[in-house]
Amino acid sequence: MDLSITSILTLDGLTNGAIYALLGVGIVLVFTVTRVIFIPQGEFVAYGALTLAIFQTGKVPGTVWLLLILAAVAALMELVTTWRHRGSALPAVMAALRTFVPAAVVCAVSAWAGPRNLALPIQALLTVCIVTAFGPLVYRVAYQSLAGASSLVLLIVSVGVHFAMTGLGLLFFGAEGFRNPPFWDTRFALGPLALSGQTLIIFAASAALIVLLWLFFERSLYGKALRATAVNRLGARLMGISTHAAGQLTFAMAALIGALSGLLIGPTTTVFYDSGFLIGLKGFVAGVIAGLSSYPGALLGALAVGVIESFGSFWASAFKEVIVFTIVLPVLLWRSLRSGHSNEEH
Amino acid sequence: MKFTKIALAAAFTLAALGSAHAELTIGVVQPLTGPASGLGIPVKNGIMIWPKTIAGETVKLVVLDDATDPTTGVKDAQRLVTEDKVDVVVGSSATPVAIPMADVTAEAGTPQLATSPAGLPPGKDKWFFRLPQSNDVMAFAMVKHMKAQGVKTVGFLGYTDAYGELWLKALTAEGEKNGIKIVGTERFARADTSVTGQVLKLTSANPDAILIVASGSGAGMPQKAVMERGYKGKVYQTHAAATQDLMRTAGKDAEGTFVVSGPATVAEQLPDSHPSKKMAVAFVTNYEKAYGPGSRNQFAGHSADVLTVLEKAVPLALKKAKPGTPEFRSALRDAFETMGRTVISHGVLEWTPQNHWGYTNETGVMLKVVNGAFKVEQ
Amino acid sequence: MDAVQPVAPSSPAAVPERPSALRRWGPLALVALIVALPLLPLPNFWILQLNYIGIYALPVLGLVLLTGVGGLTSFGQAAFVGIGAYTTAYLTVNLGLSPWLTLFIGLTLTGVSAAIIGAITLRMSGHYLPLATIAWALSLYYLMGNLDALGKYDGILGVKGLSVFGFELGQQRVFYVVVWAFVLLGALALLRLLDSRSGRAIRALAGGSQMAEAMGVNTLRHKVGIFVLAALLASVSGWLFAHFQRTVNPSPFGIRMGIEYLFMAVLGGAAHVWGAVAGAGIVKLLEDQLQVLLPKLIGTSGSYELIVFGILIVLVLKYLPDGVWSFIDRRLPRRQRVVDWHGAAHLPARSKPAAGQVVLEVQAIRKTFGGLVAVNDISFRIRAGQIVGLIGPNGAGKSTTFNLITGVLGMTSGAVQFRGEAIGGLSSRRIAERGVSRTFQHVKMVPDMTVLENVALGGHLRGRKGAIAAMLRIDRTEERQLLREAERQLQRVGMGDLLHEQAGNLAMGQQRLLEIARALCADPALLLLDEPAAGLRHKEKQALADVLRSLTAEGMSILLVEHDMGLVMDICDHIVVMEFGTHLMEGTPAEVQQSPKVRAAYLGTEH
Repeated sequence: MDLSITSILTLDGLTNGAIYALLGVGIVLVFTVTRVIFIPQGEFVAYGALTLAIFQTGKVPGTVWLLLILAAVAALMELVTTWRHRGSALPAVMAALRTFVPAAVVCAVSAWAGPRNLALPIQALLTVCIVTAFGPLVYRVAYQSLAGASSLVLLIVSVGVHFAMTGLGLLFFGAEGFRNPPFWDTRFALGPLALSGQTLIIFAASAALIVLLWLFFERSLYGKALRATAVNRLGARLMGISTHAAGQLTFAMAALIGALSGLLIGPTTTVFYDSGFLIGLKGFVAGVIAGLSSYPGALLGALAVGVIESFGSFWASAFKEVIVFTIVLPVLLWRSLRSGHSNEEH
Repeated sequence: MKFTKIALAAAFTLAALGSAHAELTIGVVQPLTGPASGLGIPVKNGIMIWPKTIAGETVKLVVLDDATDPTTGVKDAQRLVTEDKVDVVVGSSATPVAIPMADVTAEAGTPQLATSPAGLPPGKDKWFFRLPQSNDVMAFAMVKHMKAQGVKTVGFLGYTDAYGELWLKALTAEGEKNGIKIVGTERFARADTSVTGQVLKLTSANPDAILIVASGSGAGMPQKAVMERGYKGKVYQTHAAATQDLMRTAGKDAEGTFVVSGPATVAEQLPDSHPSKKMAVAFVTNYEKAYGPGSRNQFAGHSADVLTVLEKAVPLALKKAKPGTPEFRSALRDAFETMGRTVISHGVLEWTPQNHWGYTNETGVMLKVVNGAFKVEQ
Repeated sequence: MDAVQPVAPSSPAAVPERPSALRRWGPLALVALIVALPLLPLPNFWILQLNYIGIYALPVLGLVLLTGVGGLTSFGQAAFVGIGAYTTAYLTVNLGLSPWLTLFIGLTLTGVSAAIIGAITLRMSGHYLPLATIAWALSLYYLMGNLDALGKYDGILGVKGLSVFGFELGQQRVFYVVVWAFVLLGALALLRLLDSRSGRAIRALAGGSQMAEAMGVNTLRHKVGIFVLAALLASVSGWLFAHFQRTVNPSPFGIRMGIEYLFMAVLGGAAHVWGAVAGAGIVKLLEDQLQVLLPKLIGTSGSYELIVFGILIVLVLKYLPDGVWSFIDRRLPRRQRVVDWHGAAHLPARSKPAAGQVVLEVQAIRKTFGGLVAVNDISFRIRAGQIVGLIGPNGAGKSTTFNLITGVLGMTSGAVQFRGEAIGGLSSRRIAERGVSRTFQHVKMVPDMTVLENVALGGHLRGRKGAIAAMLRIDRTEERQLLREAERQLQRVGMGDLLHEQAGNLAMGQQRLLEIARALCADPALLLLDEPAAGLRHKEKQALADVLRSLTAEGMSILLVEHDMGLVMDICDHIVVMEFGTHLMEGTPAEVQQSPKVRAAYLGTEH
């Protein structure tokens, strides 16, 4: 085990870890604002990678139709709820349209652009728009009415959403995997290391995203409003912060992070319709290491997971998952003892 | 449920009162979801383009998904033999699913045509027949090629499941006979996004050749990983990777790779003297007419072969009994064993009471990826 | 002793004298149905399905206990099923052991691993516990899938079926008997367990450990206990599964199945034992029908089942969060407890301190939170038979002082002596053992239990019989004694006719009295009451005062935190006044009322 191998493994671990960090950050984000442990975060990643892959083949990706259907369902729910709440038809219809139109526009543009085989950056942009639009709609359909439920119920709902999205992924993308072309197709030599342009993009994007998120939550009013919602929903509502808007915004951001992650990993590996789950789980481990509360913690945790996994695959390739998931336990125990005994929810 | 029962009872009565055609009930258990869905879906697609009758009997298909899960596969098999009372079970394409199903079909006295190279303990495969070539047959062809290329050491990078395990055994056994040593064994799961650690370990041992055991589009990632390491030796892939997906996912990195395959996927390139040429071409034409050019693959070929086998064996069984009876199933099983030499798209099949694999060692064809397409190696 | 005139209950349901016919015969009818099914001429496939349902119902029973009642969410039941299955598969195939022997080996192995995992993870609170169970369930799954000895992902094949003295039990009707015998035994054991001393302790776990610990319940030990019990049920399921399926591989023991078990519990009604059977049955039948129906409706594409399943999970949680069984249960007449404890012997009483003796000595206790001094060197003492009031403006540190004395919070410095023994630094459970009982500022009780059961929880430390005695039903003598004691205390506080009312239905005043009765059930020498009059109406306060006076007449010592000055001045012998954590003054009610310092603290100084 010489220096060159160590450095290659470390680089590989850090590259994977950067992706896990993005996911971990997404999961921490969703949890801090909505108390939802968002297991389907990985599905957004798979959807992102695969949507771009289908664009590349010159067809319209199935996610476009799925988005349309989901938007219709959400709009219908919005119509019913607003009508019942406000009593008259007009605000209800307005609310429904507000839900439906943005997604519909994205779908229309994608349907037009699909067969035209536009340049890679434009297709990437469309992919990001499509997948990001999923976020608030998923929240509206599955979680919004359960906003006050316990964390356990929300966790099980997340599982249900995960199953549904995986099944739909198989339906729309098929069973075979896809690999996207790299955004930057060069290789740099750094001693024994071969840095690909894609790796650099991954590092840069992850770092940028994490810094942006940190700034958003610490420095901006919207960010603080979101954090307020997590701490005390009723109090935040009394201050004029809408829980539902907060939830939808958060999910939109999570979907955006997922889409970007999908774009980043698409060129580095073959992505299948169910690849998202395992990646999401590892990001989830990173989030848990961070106590589901801190972004720098999620970043460090994710990098640690990536590196441990990388070295684990070198030494005992069959057992690397066991190693990764077992290290969570002492970390969780440490975290739990440190946060003291909060009374269980009831 | 009750309603369905009454309806069924009524249907049966009507049928018994003298209907025109008897029905051949065929149960299909395939991995339509899960990691092996890349194998199961093409088989199912191939079955969907079967004709509506076989040997004059109307075909009733019951298709169930086993989700690449042995437990689900067993449940499906139980349903098929107790509830649907099928005459034959086709499945599964996932080896670890097909194996426990054998217990169920054997106990129910229903022949099972497996579309995966599933090995069973000796004496346990009375009702179990395989369509794919065994890995041993494929390994034979591959090792012969390796020896001819002067390969002395091999590194193994394969799936952690039964497919990988069986190939490891086959390669080790065949390699020993030919003086080829395995110097490194690394495993990975299909869902893994990177195999850098494993490849590093393998390449540091610097073997003459590396064998990658993966299937469908899962074969691309390890292929790229090996090439990205700057490996200069020969790279081999197994017959589950003999599809366009390999080139699609590995791109330029697939160039020069040797892939062993059954004859079906390279139908046009087979010499006219090859016994399977006609069947293979027929398969490719039919399949690509339904599903588009370039959609052919190893697995769909098996579904065409099942049809060929049934078309030959069912008439033999019909002489002894009617479909839907235990006697028919037993007769069908006997027919499989006694029908003799059958030419199918994947080679020449000959099942005997002692051998339910049926292929000879000459079946495997070595291909090489040249300019993004498979070329038969001579 | 006189029973004080009871406070008129707000909405007494007419209590029928005999248990309703449905309640008494319902469960028996259900059992009879289960027993009769294999005798009917049902298609073999249905029997197979029922066998699967039975096998699944066992781990779900465990989840009902663990999650539904105990409030501990676990995704790891499937992993324990795996341990049971692999143990028997490995040992019977490789070593040729008899399955009946491997059942016990598997149970031991599962029990030990559950105890270890439980001891580590059950210390975690809040949402950390389910995350921990996901983590170790995943690592166990990958471990099982990668060990050579266990056949890796393809598992172990050729496991033989069960047989008794050479007679094969097969996979059909005879096997059905074995499976459902286990299920019914498990359900019976759980029903008995939940209606016992241990059961009350377990049911108190879900509301948070503070109250349970104050009653003397070792919450960690009980949590680990139900965790191990759930794991044992799962292990039996695994054993049955291995010999039914004849093949063992990791896939049914992964996280997907763990989630499905939880879903079955939630769908069936997580808090009800029969909900486990209902949930397992419904989900299994649903999956089955989906597999058959969907291809007919939409075409043979495997992914639809997964999608529909996922959507169903979401819908069930939105619209039926309490599960199907609770839907049924609510429509059945309420369960009646058979009153059979009137002849039971009295529980042994604790020795009480002599009149005038110092019962509690608080010496300069201090509590700081970072820079904030919440309790600043408070000292006072309580003698036997005294009622001492602890008053002060809001934020004075009264409840913190309470928590320091009862061991809920740790002291930064100072000492507390109870009947001459130092109790500073002891846990609340140990302090309760010595004869200190308390009530809470916000009433903490178990709303699903009856009033009688809640009060009987207070007597937890006076009993000895544990979970196994409960399941074997050999604890009835002690149980009758405990219930009799509980009834006695309820009569003492004037709630004698509300014994069988659901505690959650009580009005605030009654709830406070319930807490007092519960505290009394522990036979304490010192009673600490935290704002017992909060939310009470005038008449209720009078009744409360009468109760407290009668208690002190019997020699009980009471420390009272209260805001209602009328009540305080009326019944307290001695009052301690706190302000900003500091001891302001103490004295008789008359002295306190005259004191200018107190007036200034409450009303502000004159300018």
